Amino acid sequence: MSNSISVQLIQGPLDSDSRDHAAIGCGAQVVFDGIVRPQEEGAPIIGLKYEAYEPMTTRELMQLAERMIAKHGVSRICVEHSVGLVPVGKVSFRLIVESKHRKEGLQATDEFIDEMKRVVPLWKMAVHGQ
Amino acid sequence: MQIKVLLFGPQAQIAGQSSIEIEVVGEAPTVADVLVALSEGEPALAPSLSVSRLAINQQFAAPGDAVRAADEVALIGMVSGG
Repeated sequence: MSNSISVQLIQGPLDSDSRDHAAIGCGAQVVFDGIVRPQEEGAPIIGLKYEAYEPMTTRELMQLAERMIAKHGVSRICVEHSVGLVPVGKVSFRLIVESKHRKEGLQATDEFIDEMKRVVPLWKMAVHGQ
Repeated sequence: MQIKVLLFGPQAQIAGQSSIEIEVVGEAPTVADVLVALSEGEPALAPSLSVSRLAINQQFAAPGDAVRAADEVALIGMVSGG
């Protein structure tokens, strides 16, 4: 696996700013943070609990990143996803895509997220308050 | 053949457990056979099976792929990452 891909599953919410500087030659760094909203299917929640099926989850995320690099020509993709409980308002998913120009970075970001939500073994369960 | 299928997320919640043991007819069942047996063994899962896939030894499997007794089988459906 190349060093242009990084995937991490992290217990709990993600740090507010854990990213590295963009690689030299990249004119664009797209950072997407997925934040837990206060409602799930119309009902108030206190957080989401995430579950993974390791090591398949990490491998599927890495393979998805490889496909996006090959398809869109972006330079680097970093993925962080929470497992366990993430409270409302906290970040549970971070995708960083680095590219020469913004067009391919934005396209790769959008397609990565669509595909991840469709096929990658990750699940969220709503946690309701008392 | 007795097969244990791992369950996750909403499907584990529907079944009320993180795995289910099912009986599959024949000594050389396929992924499709296992899915049929799952719908019969746990009818509550049936509506979600058409949008689910089986993973065999942590690799997505096709309907015609064989399932062996020693395989790790997981139901991957209703995923909701991100």
